[in-house]
Amino acid sequence: MSEKLSSKALSKKITDEYMDEAFRAHELGKLVGYTTAISPVELFVAHDIVPIYPENHAVANLTAKKGAEICSITENLGYTSHLCAYARTDLGYRESGKTITKGIPEPDIFLACNAQCFTLTKWFQVLARRGDLPVFVFDTPEYVMDKTARQEIVKYCVLQLKEVIAWLEQITKKKFNYDRLQEVLYYSAKSSILYKKFLDMAQYKPSPISIFDALIGMAIAVYRRGTPECVEYYQTLCDEIEEKVAKGIGVVQNEKYRLYWENLPVWFKFSDHAKLLASYGAVILTSLYVHAWSLDFDLTKDPLETLAQNYVDRFSNSTIEDRAAMAMDLFKRYDMNGMIMFMNRSCKAVSFAVPTLKDILVKKTGIPALVFESDMGDQRFYSETQIRTRIEAYFETLDQLHRKTA
Amino acid sequence: MWENLSLKEVTECAKDPYPSIRRWKEQTKKAVIGSTIADVPEEVIYAFGFLPVALLGTSKPLKKAPSLLPDNACSLARSNLELALSYEGDLFDGFVLPQVCDTTQHLSDIWRINFPGRYVECFLAPRQVDRPSAKYWVKEETERMINSLHTRFGKTVSDDDLRKSFALHNENKELLKDIYEVKRKYPASITNKEFFSLIKLSMQVDKAEFNETLKKVKDGLVKTEVEGYIDVILAGITCDPPEIFDLLDEIKLNVVADTLVTGSRYLQGTIGNGMSPIDALTERHFKRGFYSPIHDNVYKGFNELKALCDKYKPRAVVYIHIEFCESEEYDLPDLKSMMRKEGIPMHVLSTEFQTLSLSHVRTRLQAFFESLTGGSL
Ligand code: SF4
Ligand code: SF4
Repeated sequence: MSEKLSSKALSKKITDEYMDEAFRAHELGKLVGYTTAISPVELFVAHDIVPIYPENHAVANLTAKKGAEICSITENLGYTSHLCAYARTDLGYRESGKTITKGIPEPDIFLACNAQCFTLTKWFQVLARRGDLPVFVFDTPEYVMDKTARQEIVKYCVLQLKEVIAWLEQITKKKFNYDRLQEVLYYSAKSSILYKKFLDMAQYKPSPISIFDALIGMAIAVYRRGTPECVEYYQTLCDEIEEKVAKGIGVVQNEKYRLYWENLPVWFKFSDHAKLLASYGAVILTSLYVHAWSLDFDLTKDPLETLAQNYVDRFSNSTIEDRAAMAMDLFKRYDMNGMIMFMNRSCKAVSFAVPTLKDILVKKTGIPALVFESDMGDQRFYSETQIRTRIEAYFETLDQLHRKTA
Repeated sequence: MWENLSLKEVTECAKDPYPSIRRWKEQTKKAVIGSTIADVPEEVIYAFGFLPVALLGTSKPLKKAPSLLPDNACSLARSNLELALSYEGDLFDGFVLPQVCDTTQHLSDIWRINFPGRYVECFLAPRQVDRPSAKYWVKEETERMINSLHTRFGKTVSDDDLRKSFALHNENKELLKDIYEVKRKYPASITNKEFFSLIKLSMQVDKAEFNETLKKVKDGLVKTEVEGYIDVILAGITCDPPEIFDLLDEIKLNVVADTLVTGSRYLQGTIGNGMSPIDALTERHFKRGFYSPIHDNVYKGFNELKALCDKYKPRAVVYIHIEFCESEEYDLPDLKSMMRKEGIPMHVLSTEFQTLSLSHVRTRLQAFFESLTGGSL
């Protein structure tokens, strides 16, 4: 019997097989569908369309510090430097072929869900014009707090999911299989439960995972949702972390500060930030961003309804008050005592709420916040000394508070 | 108050309409409801007996907005937030805020949180208009807005109230279209600044009164042929600060058509007869032209602009880009290259609502048109 793979090896295997299939999609009689990280990809999986996320490809390049170089190519095409660095990296890659990976296959169709952001719809429109390809915008109105309005929003979204299906049938000339969708949803539901379990392991003290582990562990939930291998991966991951918990292994020794992070990470500072924080006994546990894929499908419901419900109520599509409530839930459950609020100039969708969100969270928790402005991927907008100084000053403040309350 | 204005008074009032709206409110004791631009059905608000006022930024300094929205938020969003928080917030009995892009989504949350207890409702217009579900949704949202106004203000609105309101708004648009027609042919009859002030004010004051001004303006237009004007088309969402129109007037550019939300797109919003008021409002929603944050055929913006160019044969297109509006920023490179392929010169002006000095804009605009005409203007 072959030895059980580690989560890391399994992740690599799943990713390699996925990319291999994506590059051979046409050979296999499949289409390549570009979609957004938060989108009802279950419809693609059920209809045998290979989902590709240009954002993920951009992340790989941004983490490898290629942001400034590739984004400048896009800016030379006339796009401004204010746009999302994922979009700028993607457009620059298409223009120049520059990437640190093998690249991604060209799209056949686009499905953009604006529960994530509006940027993606515009970005996909640009790509669609390049190849004169079909785009479907799955429009998810903000999940406002009024209960009746919410029911109506879900109805509108169910109608649109039916339109997505008709659109796919028309393009592929193949009938959509609802039984297959039910099966795909079963895997999505199962892996989402395990993914959430993995994230929630940050509740332990010391925490066996940091947000950096969560970010690495998130990828499969994004691009392999709805498959048995996705379930297998999160089962393996959870088993590994549980072992660490049993042995009392924490991310940092003498864990002192358990931090909340608002926004996406600064991809190219990933490991630097982890090291710097660890030197203060601090570990960032979580963010709403990594929880965005803790979907919760109700398999007893009509599949389209549970899909609609899940994709419309993501944090990025919720009101600021609801977002604050979601964050407060994490503060309580994870027993956090610090927060870093990142104003990410690349991502207006997440960042424009940050000042208001910070005020609410500081008021509700009584914990001071560190706010800093930068960019998730474009190094030209990152000021090393300024951010380092602010982090240092923040821990001094936390230390003082800690001493007072001790 | 707004029924007998001269064109000079119109431009002055359009620059800062709030003092007169305050006086109107004192006299009529009616409620004033603000909304940022993007398809909130103003006719419904009017039918309730309230004054719908389109919020179009302020030229006054930014004081509070920068701590709530970063400096790469679009200038319209920052300026509107400032207008409400620092300057005119007390004038409004409530706001109905549309959501079209990420910026507007956050804005409505921020407004609600910053005006506790005040009526702040959002209008969740569909951000796609190419499928039947969009129609379903516009109808739902229109009904929700009516119910929300009813619940909050304890007033009801009848079909008859709605129809009367439609008639008044339609009349307003027809009058503006007539004036536009004259302006196209006889550029000396009315300046760009005056004409676009008429549209702006139409979006902000009581049309029952203002239509009277429009009628008089229309009747008073002098149709004499004057040489030396260059026809242009304006594209974009809005054109601010209004001094940009002064620049266009200064170098004798005659705007013969436009795609502005505060221009022709507003005029496309007449409401049809022969169906229930809600159905008529729903139908109207889809009669308007391209608006960059809303998804439709990916070539729609270009096709509309090209059709206008074919029809009016302008010397150039002047695109007014609101600083940091990402929606426009994603469209612009393709739009430019498509226009280039068609051989239509296009000049992009980036503007900010808080801009005080337009000398750089003047120089660039002059240089562009000098190069087009092969000599000085
Ligand atoms: S980073 Fe933000 S703006 Fe960019 S694609 Fe993601 S959600 Fe959209
Ligand atoms: S569409 Fe553009 S101008 Fe309008 S609010 Fe959004 S970003 Fe600002």
